[in-house]
Amino acid sequence: MTGHTTGKESESTAFLYPFIESEETDATSLLDDLAASARAKATESARLQRESLDEYAPPLTAAGIQMAERFLRGGRLYTLGNGGSSTDAATLASLFSRPARGRPVAAWSLAADEAVVTALGNDVGFELIFKRQIIAHARDRDVAIALSTSGNSEDLMTAITEAKQRGLLTIGFSGHDGGRMAAAEDLDFCFTVHSQSIHRIQESHAMLGYRLWSVTQEHMARPLSGAHA
Amino acid sequence: MTTTAQLGGSYIGADLSADLAAAALDMARRFHDGATLWVISPQWEPHAHHVAVEFVHPVIMGKRALPSVALVEPDPVAQARVASQPGDLLIAVASADQPAVVDAMRRAQAWGVLTLWIGSGPRPPAGAANHILWIDTDDPMVPATGTFVLMYHLLWELTHVCFEHPGLLRPPADESTDEVCVTCSDEGRLAEVLLEPADATGQALVRTANGEEWVDTTILGEVHANDLVLVHAGAAITRLEVSS
Repeated sequence: MTGHTTGKESESTAFLYPFIESEETDATSLLDDLAASARAKATESARLQRESLDEYAPPLTAAGIQMAERFLRGGRLYTLGNGGSSTDAATLASLFSRPARGRPVAAWSLAADEAVVTALGNDVGFELIFKRQIIAHARDRDVAIALSTSGNSEDLMTAITEAKQRGLLTIGFSGHDGGRMAAAEDLDFCFTVHSQSIHRIQESHAMLGYRLWSVTQEHMARPLSGAHA
Repeated sequence: MTTTAQLGGSYIGADLSADLAAAALDMARRFHDGATLWVISPQWEPHAHHVAVEFVHPVIMGKRALPSVALVEPDPVAQARVASQPGDLLIAVASADQPAVVDAMRRAQAWGVLTLWIGSGPRPPAGAANHILWIDTDDPMVPATGTFVLMYHLLWELTHVCFEHPGLLRPPADESTDEVCVTCSDEGRLAEVLLEPADATGQALVRTANGEEWVDTTILGEVHANDLVLVHAGAAITRLEVSS
């Protein structure tokens, strides 16, 4: 939800309405088209998730292991995002802090508290709503994950820079061509989902986040004396 | 071995895609008539927020902004009760056993609200919502894998396609005739009590899908605000037990 698309998304559904039908009365054909469109989009969603998991398998494992090591030292996770990505950030934080199975760890979304977000937005500017919270909360053993379908959100970039300076592990989920996130030296890991559709990018972000959580859980379940291999 | 989640798109087969299509057309029709979309997800509030922001602030430029609000207070039933009006829409993202959602889905019938229920795991009983959009799996992690996100993204995308077909946004003729015949059929209409009877005449104010009306409750004896009753020919004839 951090930007807009106009081109590919509208083209992909254009075949459904070659002309405006104001006199249509039978919905059967439309319902068939809608169902076919849903299956096509779902297939693309699954393909993109698979491709993203495959492309980033080694760094996802590395990032998950580093997160686990930080959680075992008492670290906590902050997730950041705007709009729909803020809700995905909150879902990701809940996955870590309130998983249906496995070991919960401290995690929360920095967009979750409207008193804090509006106080900072009103007093110091919207681009600082996350950075100022990082300054207040962060310890060097913590982790920050920023989600942006464009990779360009200013409020996320300033927070990531601050987090890196404070010794946090910094992870970015981006989309399209990766935007500023793809080139940011302050990100330890950047996972760019190569798609032009904000919806499909968000669905892949969720799956990548789930993989990070899985790796983290697996690593935290190992005996401390054991080797990582 | 790292846990691997099934990819969300792989769940969307012939049946579920048809369910999504039918739900989207119903949503488009209600929005066309001025509906507001209410969203509840007591177990996973971020999903409620995501649905609302999807409709209010579309990611595709030029698409209509539609009224949608996430109801995330501790008592979503109370929130939905006062917020909703006949003709509105209610989406729940929740498991089949979530008590507040079970309650809200049932009461929505008395509120005149069309219901959609997105979830995974054991299914709600048939008819528990107008549209049950379900992932049949025993994987408890599904709500965090993007699968629900995909489902409400699809609902949003398909709903906007329907707006390109204005001729189909009017309800089919057979649905209209159904409503005309309700009062003379043997069916009772679901109602929720707004005001308890103030005196021995037993007249209580209730709300039904058609609006508010005074009904005779003497058959039932004592009734209380928020009781669910069946109304027939101006009288409350049965009280429905609420599981919670």
